[in-house]
Parts: sequence; C-alpha cells; structure tokens
Amino acid sequence: MKTKHLRAIGLLIVTGIFILAWVFPIFWSVLNSLKNEQDVLAYPPKLFFEPTLAAYRSVLFGPQSILPNLWSSFVISAGTTILTMAIAIPAAYALARLRVPGSRWAGFYVLATQMLPPVGIIIPYFLILRNIGWMDTYQGIILIYLSFSLPFAIWLMVSYFEDIPFEMEEAAAVDGASRLTTLRRIILPQVQGGIAVTIVFVFLNAWNEFLFAVVLSGNTVRPVTIAMFNFVSVEQTLWTQLAAVSVIAMLPVVILGILAQKHIVKGLTVGAVKGGGRR
Amino acid sequence: MSLAEPVAAPSGAALSPAASGHLDVMARRERRFAAALLAPAFIALGATTTFPLLYLIWTSTFRMDLAMPFMDGFVGIENYRQLFADPRFWQSLSVSMIYTVTTVIAQVILGLALALLVMNMKRGQGLFRFIAILPVVLSPAVVGMVWRSFMLTPEFGVIDYLSISAGLGSQNWLGDPFMALVSVIVIHTWQWTPFAFMVLLASLASLPDDIYEAAKIDRAGPWQRFWRITLPLLRPAIVMVVIMRTMVALTAFAAIFTVTGGGPGTATEILNLYAYRKSFTELSIGYGSALAVALLVVTILISAVLFLIRRAK
Repeated sequence: MKTKHLRAIGLLIVTGIFILAWVFPIFWSVLNSLKNEQDVLAYPPKLFFEPTLAAYRSVLFGPQSILPNLWSSFVISAGTTILTMAIAIPAAYALARLRVPGSRWAGFYVLATQMLPPVGIIIPYFLILRNIGWMDTYQGIILIYLSFSLPFAIWLMVSYFEDIPFEMEEAAAVDGASRLTTLRRIILPQVQGGIAVTIVFVFLNAWNEFLFAVVLSGNTVRPVTIAMFNFVSVEQTLWTQLAAVSVIAMLPVVILGILAQKHIVKGLTVGAVKGGGRR
Repeated sequence: MSLAEPVAAPSGAALSPAASGHLDVMARRERRFAAALLAPAFIALGATTTFPLLYLIWTSTFRMDLAMPFMDGFVGIENYRQLFADPRFWQSLSVSMIYTVTTVIAQVILGLALALLVMNMKRGQGLFRFIAILPVVLSPAVVGMVWRSFMLTPEFGVIDYLSISAGLGSQNWLGDPFMALVSVIVIHTWQWTPFAFMVLLASLASLPDDIYEAAKIDRAGPWQRFWRITLPLLRPAIVMVVIMRTMVALTAFAAIFTVTGGGPGTATEILNLYAYRKSFTELSIGYGSALAVALLVVTILISAVLFLIRRAK
C-alpha cells in the first residue's frame, strides 16, 4: 500500500516537472510582457508584481509599432492560404478520386518535393526575384510559400477526399450531373471539415515560416517574426516589449492550434503516414 | 495509399463493343477532367520546387559572388572540389549530425516516456494533450527568441538564475561553443518532443487491450510487457517519428538563427545554416548553392537509409 502511494507521488512529481518545463517559457514570456521596466530587470526574477499593459501599448501604438508587421504577416499567410487551397483542392480530388494514369507517380512527386531543403529553394529564388524586381513583394513571398504549403495541403486533402463513399458520386453521375457539378455540389460539402482543418494548418505554417521571410523581406514585406528583431540590439534589449511582441506573435497560432486540437496529429504526420505506408 | 484506386467501374472487356466504346469516351473525359484539375498544382510545384532545384544545380557550377560580380563565371565542378577540401563544410556536417542524432533520440525517448506515463493516467490526460500543442504550433523563431532572451541571458534568464541558485554560477550559455550547442539542442528538443509525444500517444491508444490482458495472465512483468509487446507494436510509429524529425532537424534554421546565428564562431553552424550564411551573409551564391546541393544529397542518403530500416521487419 505504501509503495503504491510513493509511486503515485513520484508520478505526480514527474508529470508536474514535464508540464512545468513545457509551459514555463511561454508563461514566463506572458509574465514579462506584463511587467514594467523595473520589474522585468529585478533580480532574482519576480513572480509577483503589479501588472501593466504598457509594453503592449508601446509595441502596438508606439513609434516602433508592429501593427504594420502584423498586417504583413496576415497578408502573407492569408494570401498563401487562399492560393494554396484554390490549387490544392482540385488536385487532391483528382488524385484521390479519378482514374489518372500515373497518379501514383504524381503522388510520389508531390511527396518528394518536400524533401528539398528550403535553403536550396531560396538561393535560386532569390536570384530570380532579384532579377525581376520582386524582392520585398507579397507576390514573390507568397509564390515561394507554395513550395511547402502545396504538398502539405494536397496530401491532407487527399486523405479527406478518400473518406467519402464512392456511392455519392455514382448516384450523382446516374442523375446526369456533370463532374464539375458533382464536385461542387456533392463532394465539397462533404469535406468542409477537412478544408477547414487544412486552412488552419496552411495558415499556421505560413505565419511561422522564417527562412524565406528573412531572405525576401524588406521594408514593405516585414512579418512579425522578422520585426521582433527590432527590439533586440547589441547595446540594449527592450525586454518587456520583446516579450509583448513574442506573445502577440504566439497568440494567433496558439488559437489556431487549440481550434484544430483534435486534428493536430493528423496535420503533423500527413504525408509520412500516407505516402510512406507502402515503403 | 489508395491513390491509384479506380472509380468503381465494370471492366470493359465483358461489355459489347459499343458499350466499351462509350466507356472509352468516358475514360478519356475523366482523364481530361483530371488533367485540368491537376495542372495548376503541377505547374505551381514545378515552378516552386523542381525548377529551383535545377537552377540550383546550375548555379552551383558557377563562381557567383554578389560582392565581386566581375569575377563571376562558369567553373564546372570547382565549387564541389573546394567543398571537399573545406574544413568548415566538414565541421558543419558533423554539427548537423550531432544536432540531428541528439535531438531525434531525445525527442523519441522523452516523448515515448511521457506517452507511456500519460497513457496510464486516469485523470489529466486532456491537460497533457492540450499543453503538448503549445510548443508545436509556435514559430521556431519566436521560440528561439524567448529562450535566448528570457531563459538563457546571463544574470537575467531563468535558467541562469537556476544555475546560480544551484551554486553552479552564471554561465555564458550562448557564448561558450559547447554550451551553445547544448542550448540549441535543448531548445529544439523542448519544442518538438510534444510532437513525438502526441504521435506516440495516439499510436499507444490504438493498441489492442487484449494482448496486455493475455500478457498479464501469463504473468509478464511491466518491463517484459514494454520490451516484448509495446515496443514492437509501436515500432512503425517510432520509425515514422524518427524519419520526420530527422528531416526537420537537418533543415532546422529559425531557432538556431535566432538563438546563436550559428555561433559562437561556427559552433552551432549546421550545414543548412552554413549554406545560408555562405549565400546570404558572405554573398557567395555559387559556393552556397554547392553547399545546398550537398545538403540535399545528405538528406536523400539519410532518408534512404531510414526507409530501408522502415522496410526491414
């Protein structure tokens, strides 16, 4: 009986440590973002203090406002999402449902493109965009974001299309509906949930992307992940403001992640599960 | 994978010539429809992945220096010859290997341990599942920034505070080559262990209960049950996690870039980062391209090995 108690306590401690380890850095950023300039520098670090929204006010409405950067992140992510979905949904439908000669190869190709290291894509893209004057433009960055968002979206959508029973299409075909009408009226409503989940993940990945953004961004296109460097310099780091920017950058993806909670394992492993299944 | 599964249709051979002719028309129509649906995706993928790859290989055969454009010109395999003799390349390759192997092993072991722990919990599973989402959805750049500033800054960060409190003194976490490498490994592991945890937990939950019941009746101890039943049944999921995490670790960028920028010196410069720095900091695009091609080759070799392991039963 006693050992059982000890084990339960041990288990509680171990799980407590794990939870603390994962929550703490995020929790600590939130805490620091609510401190004033004195409290944040206090040593030993302060857990209790009078919270203030000064840092948020400063980073949102101060001279170094990140509102334009939030807008930039949003335009990039939304643009990528819309374009990706417009291209991926029809392609995924064809791969999942239609008799296409060589569709296995097509699927494999989509998967193989994901193996390319991003740095190998950005070097040539940098040269091309520089030549056509598309550096620091939304079209330039959104276009290259397709390189990772498309394979992902296609694979995820294929898995949702495969879940629909074939009878639905057959019934529609018997009724004389054209293929396009069938797709629009019968199939798409069936995969609404899948489309929503895919949108969430594509948006999230675009929001978090960093390497392409570092190379292609400038004064016009400047997402939050790049702009947060404004608050760090060799001479001085604006701690509370840096914390506030970090929290603001985290907020949308955390909300999206929570919304897609049930689907997150599928979203994270798509492609590997599917494409790798045979090999 | 049922990509090539045909839409249920009777085989044409059993039908009259007229009917099979009709089917031909149908099949051709379907093919045309499919081609129209697929075309945008393949054009876009070709333009954003295949074409850059070919162009990359092409530029890797040039001397292309944005700082000294007058020296540019075709050099054939010179960049690759230079690469083999470049100690910084070998150094970055070994940092890549250390970084990849340690982070992947740590993620799998910690993720598996946590999954087993949570699996046996009667309450609070939901809390774990919820918390596990947080690091995974965050931008690695933001994660890097948070760790670098609020956790690791000497005499300010929490980790440093803990180190001082424990009597180990303040450490220059990111200034010391060894500590910097450990730090970026820990940060990557922190962010991605929840991924392994979630995948392995899902896999654990799908294992059949009756095997365990049978094992208990046969008086198999917990360790025996783990080694003989759980681990073999989880093997496919573990191998999948290893493959996915290896690919990501090889091309890790944002967190290392934000935390150390590859430094101090080249202590945390994985091959991916070296290719970036060569191309965009030192503006030596031709040689940077060769480094990126080398990274691609390394990626392909490693994934080939991993897929062979996956296939071997």
